[in-house]
Amino acid sequence: MHPVDTMGQTREGATYGFAFLDEDAKRELRRAIFKAVCIPGHQVPYASREMPIARGFGTGGMQLTLALLGPDDTCKVIDQGADDSVNAANIRNFFALTCPGVTGTLRTEAASVIQTRHRIPELPLRADQILVFQVPYPDPLVVVEANAAKRRRMHGRADYARLWVKLYEDMVAFDEITISHRYPTRINGHYIIDPSPIPRFDVPKLHQAECLYLFGAGREKRIYAVPPHTDAVPITFNDVAFAVENFRDKTTGQRHVCRRCGADDSFLDEFPDNDGARVFQCSDAAWCDMRLDRREAAE
Amino acid sequence: MSVLDLPRLWRPETHQALFRRILDVAARPGQIADLSDLLDDRAAALAALATFCDNTQMLADLTGALSDTDLAFLDVRTAPVDQAGFILARGAEAPRFAPRLGTLDAPEGGATIVVMLDSLTDGTPLTLTGPGIAAQAGLSPSGLAPAWLDARARWCADFPMGVDLVLADQTRLAVLPRTTKIKGA
Amino acid sequence: MAYVAIRGGADAIKGSARLMDALRAMGQSAPLELDQIERQMPLLHSKVLSEGSLYHPRLASLALKQSLGDSLEAAFFLRAYRSTKPRLGETAPHDTRTMRVVRRVSAAFKDIPGGQMLGATPDYLHRLFRFDLMDEGPETFDQITRDWFGNRPNGETPLTFPKVLDTLRAEGLLAPLADSDEAPFDITREPLIFPVPRSAQLATMARGETGGLLALAYSNMRGYGDVHPTVGELRVGYVPVMVPHPVTGKPMEAGEVLVTECEIVAMFEKTDDGAPVFTLGYGACFGHNEVKAIAMAVLDRAISVAKDKGRIANPSEDPEFVLLHVDGIESMGFCTHYKMPHYVTFQSDMDRLRAARGKAEEAADAPR
Repeated sequence: MHPVDTMGQTREGATYGFAFLDEDAKRELRRAIFKAVCIPGHQVPYASREMPIARGFGTGGMQLTLALLGPDDTCKVIDQGADDSVNAANIRNFFALTCPGVTGTLRTEAASVIQTRHRIPELPLRADQILVFQVPYPDPLVVVEANAAKRRRMHGRADYARLWVKLYEDMVAFDEITISHRYPTRINGHYIIDPSPIPRFDVPKLHQAECLYLFGAGREKRIYAVPPHTDAVPITFNDVAFAVENFRDKTTGQRHVCRRCGADDSFLDEFPDNDGARVFQCSDAAWCDMRLDRREAAE
Repeated sequence: MSVLDLPRLWRPETHQALFRRILDVAARPGQIADLSDLLDDRAAALAALATFCDNTQMLADLTGALSDTDLAFLDVRTAPVDQAGFILARGAEAPRFAPRLGTLDAPEGGATIVVMLDSLTDGTPLTLTGPGIAAQAGLSPSGLAPAWLDARARWCADFPMGVDLVLADQTRLAVLPRTTKIKGA
Repeated sequence: MAYVAIRGGADAIKGSARLMDALRAMGQSAPLELDQIERQMPLLHSKVLSEGSLYHPRLASLALKQSLGDSLEAAFFLRAYRSTKPRLGETAPHDTRTMRVVRRVSAAFKDIPGGQMLGATPDYLHRLFRFDLMDEGPETFDQITRDWFGNRPNGETPLTFPKVLDTLRAEGLLAPLADSDEAPFDITREPLIFPVPRSAQLATMARGETGGLLALAYSNMRGYGDVHPTVGELRVGYVPVMVPHPVTGKPMEAGEVLVTECEIVAMFEKTDDGAPVFTLGYGACFGHNEVKAIAMAVLDRAISVAKDKGRIANPSEDPEFVLLHVDGIESMGFCTHYKMPHYVTFQSDMDRLRAARGKAEEAADAPR
């Protein structure tokens, strides 16, 4: 019987330990993260504790973040690029509740740990920052093989032939690879990962980055990683260039810009305004705010 | 014993801090983590084990360096070296064992070997390339028998199977994941 | 130039919580007491205990109250709470022959040692409304309990009963119980990587969602499979929980848990020595939930049949298909998550669709 209380209490009388999870759970996560970093792109299985937030709402990302956070960390949480999306707000509240001492921030450059759903921040991340992705489907092969045991075998052997066939069929049917988000990306020349539902626009940010990328699937119970300075190449054919969303207006040929800050190089949200007109705005709220701050400072 | 009385090495907040530093250098092979402010004079190798081990894990201690108290706190099960997930070994002694390498389906089963060295910086320079390294990095471990590098090359020849090394001197750690390629020495 | 940052998500969440509470409190009804839920809705309460996989009757009632009666949400509350509790130790396997039985029936035999005990069940009642239930007061409850306890003969019913299937085993018609040293697979500590041992199969289903298990078992019963079960025994009762004493290690009774257990007998198969025997399917769960226990037993058999034959002919026989889709917390969570913002991925989809349409137009416009 372990002499240490597995609740890891740091305050007398606390009913939850720091960062909610008990120490056994954190250790298991840390072992899995370590192996994931040593085997880039490989999906490491783990037990995956239930959290007070529902499966499908980021419990995998949360478990990673809770295993990482210490009282001197600064944490940012975004969903679709926005800090104030309901899902991000909910998760951020949870961290504030369970991780006393951790500072919350909306500013990308101030964060040591960023948890994200469906976007990579526009601002390039530094070596002292970790980006944690919430992952619904950890396995890119799930579109061609429903059976988990068979998929595991295919990954071990880097046998992705059936994935290539799927892309080929797309080309034949549509003259385009129709995969929009979750674009299969090859890591360090071996494992192909599902980079989570980030748009194509964000995939190039995975390649040879300064920061560490960690991916957590709570419901599916897998953790994987792309270390810094690692090749991350979206798969395609030699004669089909990997294209990102270009936000080009079909009629004018012009690239749409953000109506708030004027950015012409960020991923844009497109939506109808109250008059029915189509408007475009930076998806990354902090990026948009930063550009506006700079513009104001310059004026 | 209340958690508040625990020696620093065994406190949850220490494990969190240790883990972050180990993670940083595992993601960036060649970089060295200085743990001296966390150790209270205990060995860095022990700190690495304390971060990861508990009663679900199996350890083979080839050094005899772990005291009964340390083993009690690690709460780890001992196992033969070819079955253990964690191995503690001395860099000065050539490795004469066959560690777990994992399988194609489950390469994460490959062992984590904590290798105790004299120093991470006074020895023969090695050139490292691979994931986590921009172009190339250097590491100069002292007290690592050359047979270790030969053995590691054999163990890690069939990616994704292999072992992951944690090199430790008295106060510092470096990590050599199975993906790192080594030239020199 | 000033700009307005668009915020509001956090406020919306707070407002939502307050509205849920207000809806609960509005009107003339008195606040629900936890006892009312446990005592007057015991079968719903049992569902939550078993799907939450934490035997805490008081918290199960609170969960139902807090979740406004949503049994999936209530089970989720218990599961999340359980997730934070430290593991104090493990018991030895429990023999349900020690069960203090409150209901026990067998479809396989007209009569069984100890007798068929119908107990409290709606099975043979008419599903006709009793409109007098609309107007009950505390004095009604007093009368009912006085009537029940008033003329009871002193208990001659035994507390425990032998297992019906032991009769079949004694005659050699059912394979003898295998002695197993194998440690049970702990599904809360390891993910399911297939193939999984039978203990993982049973544990996953024991906390599975009743409707999910029922649908899959029903598919087998109707013909997408061939288990053809007979209920050898269905028993409901309280099993004493024996916990090793922290100092002496001797098993001590720490309390009792309500359990439903079902053993079905299915098609016979050949054993190694040539003589065929009946096969067994097993289902058990916390609380009183017979549909779940029966469904679980059918699925246990269906999966084992396919494993033995080496051939999966139907979804209910596929361990991956069954075990990965019956957890209510996981399925409910993922289903619910589709309501979350997905507009970035949708933007990405629109880009692809526009590109593909562009190509289609080019092809249509191209000179022949």
